[in-house]
Formats: sequence, C-alpha cells, structure tokens
Amino acid sequence: MKKLICLGFGLAALACAQEPQRLTLPFRDPSMPKKLNVELMLGSITVKGYDGNDAIIEYTGRSIRPSGRGGDAPPGMHRIGGSGGLEVTEEANTIRIRNGSFISRGDLVIQVPVQTSVTVKTMSGQNLTVDNIAGEIEANNFNGQVTVTNASGSVVAHSMNGKVTVSLNKVAPDKNMSFSTMNGDVDVTLPADTKANLRMRADDGDIFTDFDVNMGPPAAPQVQEEKDKSGRPRTRARISGAEQGTINGGGPEMQFTTFNGRILIHKK
Amino acid sequence: MTCDQTKALFADYWSRSLSGTNEAALEVHLAGCEACRGELDRLGRLWRELELLPAFEDAVEPGPKLRPRFYETLSAYRQGLESAPAPKLPPGPRLASLWPRRVAWQVALSCALLLMGIGIGFAVRSAPAESRGSEVAQLHAEVNNMRQLVALSLLQQQSASERLRGVSFAYRVEPSDSEVLAALLETVNHDPNVNVRLAAVDALHPFAASPAAREAVIQALPRQTTPLVQVALIDLLVDLKEKEAEPELRRLAGMASDPGVRQRAQWALEKLQ
Amino acid sequence: MKTTDNTLMAQVSNGEISKLAMLFERHHRALFRYFVSMNRDRDVAEDLVQDVFFRILRYRTSYDPGKPFTAWMYQIARHASVDQAQKRGGEVVGIAEYAGWHVEPASPAAGPEERASHNQSLGLLQRAMNRLPDDKREILVLSRFQGLKYEQIAEVLGCEVGTVKVRIYRAMRALEQIYLAMEKEKAS
Repeated sequence: MKKLICLGFGLAALACAQEPQRLTLPFRDPSMPKKLNVELMLGSITVKGYDGNDAIIEYTGRSIRPSGRGGDAPPGMHRIGGSGGLEVTEEANTIRIRNGSFISRGDLVIQVPVQTSVTVKTMSGQNLTVDNIAGEIEANNFNGQVTVTNASGSVVAHSMNGKVTVSLNKVAPDKNMSFSTMNGDVDVTLPADTKANLRMRADDGDIFTDFDVNMGPPAAPQVQEEKDKSGRPRTRARISGAEQGTINGGGPEMQFTTFNGRILIHKK
Repeated sequence: MTCDQTKALFADYWSRSLSGTNEAALEVHLAGCEACRGELDRLGRLWRELELLPAFEDAVEPGPKLRPRFYETLSAYRQGLESAPAPKLPPGPRLASLWPRRVAWQVALSCALLLMGIGIGFAVRSAPAESRGSEVAQLHAEVNNMRQLVALSLLQQQSASERLRGVSFAYRVEPSDSEVLAALLETVNHDPNVNVRLAAVDALHPFAASPAAREAVIQALPRQTTPLVQVALIDLLVDLKEKEAEPELRRLAGMASDPGVRQRAQWALEKLQ
Repeated sequence: MKTTDNTLMAQVSNGEISKLAMLFERHHRALFRYFVSMNRDRDVAEDLVQDVFFRILRYRTSYDPGKPFTAWMYQIARHASVDQAQKRGGEVVGIAEYAGWHVEPASPAAGPEERASHNQSLGLLQRAMNRLPDDKREILVLSRFQGLKYEQIAEVLGCEVGTVKVRIYRAMRALEQIYLAMEKEKAS
C-alpha cells in the first residue's frame, strides 16, 4: 500500500530560514528489510541510525532567491513566501524521498533504524553524511563531499567533485565495496582484520596505507614527455590500470578510484 | 518548370542537396508561384519539427535482453558450424554415420530455441555425452557455466554491492563467454550506479580480443556522461590501441565539460598516433 | 581507417561469422528505432531485430559487396516486418494512437508555458505520424530518422531515386493534412 505525503511550506512570515518540518513514518512490515531511498536535487542530506522503528524526517527548506544573491529585507519589511517541498512515499517497507513540485534548497536530516539499507543521491554542492548504519549504503553526491561514519555493513560511495570519507566499524562478509571520486581524496578506514582484495587507482596522486598489503604485480607506468605551462619539457609518468593487492589473505573486492587526489586506507 | 516538377525538388531542398541548376530553376518558379512557395515553407517547417520528435532520438533504447539474445544466437551458430565438419571423437561405427546429421539438427534446434529466447545451455546439456574423453572438458564447461550463471544473476540484483560482486565474477569466466560480455556491456551502458559502471569497464579488459567488444566500447564512449567512467573507457581504448575511437576522442578533447576528461582524451589521441 | 560496413559484411559472407557482432553493435539501435517507429510495439521490435540479424547470418552468402550494407539490411528488415505481420494475422500495428509517449521539449531554455504548448504540438505531430499510412510513414522514417540517403532508400524500396523524392513530398503533404485535421479536432 502506497502512502504519499507532500511536505509543503505555507507562507512564513518571519526570518529567512523556514522552521524545520518534521515527519515520522513507520516501517510497517517487520518481515521485510527496511530501505531508505533519497534523491534530492539541492541541499545537504544527513542520515543517522538510531534505536527505534520509524523513520524521522526533518526538512529545513530555504527559498530560492531569483537572482541568487540574497539580501537584507528593506526597512520595515519582512520576507514571505515558501519554498517548495518534498515528496515522501512508503511502499513495501521502502521509504522514498524525492523533490516535490518545487525544487528548493533545503537540509534534510533523517533518522532511521540502524538496520536499514540506505541509498542517497544528491546533486548539490552540499555535504552528504551517513552515520551509524548497518545495512547496505549507497551514497552519491554530484558536487560535494560524501562522509560515511560508523558503518557496519557495506558501502558504495561516489562523488563527482568532492572528498569521499568512509569509516567502517565492521565489514559484512562477502560484500564488495567501491569508493570513487573525480576530484578529491578517497579516505577509507577499515577494521584491522578485514579480508579483502584491493584495487586502487589514483591517477594524479599517491596511495597511502598503514595496512600490510600483499601487492600484486605492479601496473606498468606509462611515461609521456610533455610541456608544462611555460613550455618547458617535463616527464609525466602515469599508471594506467589499477594497483592490486590483498589484505589479510584476500576476500571480496574493494575498489578505490580517484582522478585528482590521494587514496588513504587506514587500519582501525 | 511546372508545379509538379518543382515539388519533386522539395526533398532535395530540405536535405540541402539541390544541384546548382535545379536550385536556380526552383528559385525562378517560386518567384512566380505563391502556392508552391507557401507549400515549400509550410512543409519545410514540419520537416524540421520532425527532428524534434523524441521517439526517434537516442532516448528510444531496446531492452536489456536484446543484446544477450543476439550473442547467444551468434555463439550457437558458430558452435554449430565449427562442430559440424570434423567430429572430434567418433563414438563408434554405428553412430558415426549419424553424427553429421545430428549436429545439423542440433544447430537448427538451438537456433530455433534461441529465437524463442531459451538459452543454448539447455540444448547442449540435453544432448548425451558423446564419449568418455570429453568428461574433463564437460566439467570445465560446467564450472564455467556456473560462474557465468552467478555473474549474470548477480548483475541483475537490486543492490549496488551485489552487482559489484557480479562484475567481479565476470573476471573469472572464459574470455570468449559472449553472454557475460553482453551483460557487462549492458552494465557499462545502463547501470544506475557509477561505481558499478566503473567496475564493469575494468572487467572488459580480458574480453578485449573480441572485435565485437572493441566495437561496443567505441559505441559506449559517447553515451557516457560521467567523467570517471569516460576516463576509464578512454584508458581501455588506449590499452586496446583502438584507433577507430579517434573521432570520438577528438570530440571529447574539445567539448567534454570536465577538464579531466578533456585532458585524458587529448593524452589518448597522442598515445594512439 | 574505420572498417566499413560493406567490408565487414563481405568478411562475414566469407566465413568470419564473428564479425557480424561488430555490425550488430553499430546498427542494432537504429534498427530497433526503425521498427518501433513503424510498429509502436517494443517487444515486436526486439524480436524483429533478432530476426533481421539471424537472416543476415543465414543469407550472408547472398550479400553483394558492391551494394551498400545498410540498404541490404533495411530490405531484409522490411521483409521480416511483413512476414511478422502475416504471422500475427493482420496489419502491422502502426496506426493506433500511442498515448504513452511523453514528449520532452528539445530546448530547455523555453519557459513553462512555451514548453507546454511546444509539448502539445510535438505530441500532435507524433500522433499525426502514427496515423500516416504505413508506406508514407516508412519513407519519412527511413529518410528523416534512419539517415539513409535518397539513393539508399531507392535501393531499399526497389525504385528510382526520383520516385523516392516524389514520395517524400507526398508523405509530407499527407502528414500536414492529418496534422491540420487533428488540430481542428482538438479545437472543437
């Protein structure tokens, strides 16, 4: 049974930021796995695991100013007018959150039971944070950081343009993971006894770890002569293809990819 | 020139392929004939609007089963042809004369079954083992089949982590396995998760010997808009020394919105010289 | 540097069966779109694409390398389509209105009102296309959307180039009449 709720905003007479709107939604079927699926165009998203059975959604919307500038209210006047809203649906134990008919800039804070699988996508230049989730985590940010902390399941994280930081307290067995960004560091912390096959590709940066990694055959570097900005010749060596290695004897595959940044793999 | 003769030139006019003499003749007629002028103009506008119909744009894509079906058919056909001429181990004088006919039947049957969408595995497995010597080969084939099945089923899963696992299984199948290749190509082109698409590009490396895979990679490049995947495809094309990718690389070097992609495409063009 | 379709097909004809896969990768999407625009049924279109490539495989030795591959492929496509229609006992289901297509505006810069009316007129155009008789719709699809040159279409249809151009004109005129009639229907 599908339930559709629209969180909209009426006219607010006071300050620039709206009052946060709050909504509590239960996961109704105890026999099915809990899933949260969020896709927002603009705004920061924080998902936190907590000890409970419901999803608690808090949304703070800010109106979009047409010129993008923002300004003080002229003397004696106050800003009114709401920004758009969210569309929240619940079906078969999956809670889906999307932008409503207006696209507004807003901050979303969602609390869900720890044992929920979470898929989050945002397009904005804001941060995406997931904390204390034991289910499967998929996090995608188009233009901002992705930070996953206290995860104890599996993580697949990507940012087009931002740092990807992931920290796992526990790694679910037999789960593949992947962490990637075009521009930024990929910084991952794993429990010291994690068994995994690592595939790492840092195009223009270094790979650092405090794990004891059993490296595979080194990828052959490609050497190219080129000219730098002032026309002087310089040599650039590029490793095409991933570096491979295993930790603790090997296990499911974990992929680390960045085009412009470093890869850091920490032992917990 | 009569009105009828003029109208016969419209198609060339709209596709800008009018010859000089015809163009002149058309202009002369149009100058004196309002009806033809009006019609050329109105129909021309409709002609241009047709281009905007989305049903005819890239948006219309076949479903995910099309490609695997084709590759199964092709593979079965080739197997049928290859095993037809020389029987590997003649089973015995009684059956030897039946062998060529049976294979032809097998080919026909498997092709027919494939057209109904049933996999080749069914047709091959239902044929009795021809001789003891091929047991090892059969076992090998079965193990490969199983890996293939696992890979294929994992690639359909809802969770990105499971699809990643499917891709990693794809590394362990025979590089000639066209069904897995087809599934990997589908994943590169259509998987909703960036990381999965990226992993699938990497998994294509072992299939690189197949010309179909190379062609598919060339076709896949313009369809990708995610910079990381574009870069991975470009790297793959360079590893494959695929010069036929040059036109697309040139386009990306000039027009890709991400500077990393432009830079990589430029590098690739230099490497492919 | 690129291996031409003709060369590839000649190779297939000579026994290099696997090269057919390259032709598949290059052409299956366009072929699918052709069938969908004639048929409106995606499943039938997929079956037809399979059918065409299988026929190309079976009849590979009858390919004439002097003739363009695409023209040959579309000839096979038309035969396959006719055979399919006969098997299903009736007209190729093309003329029915297909209300499910969503029409997106081509230019994102248009405002919401412009977009709405632009959408509507494109939707109308799409439906007018669907109402065209099969042979008129086909010639527009082949020239406008499959990108075939008039000479190639002549090859496919088995007629003179001049005839192709006249038929295109007649198809456009029919399209306009249907479009205007539908506009009037809407207004009333």
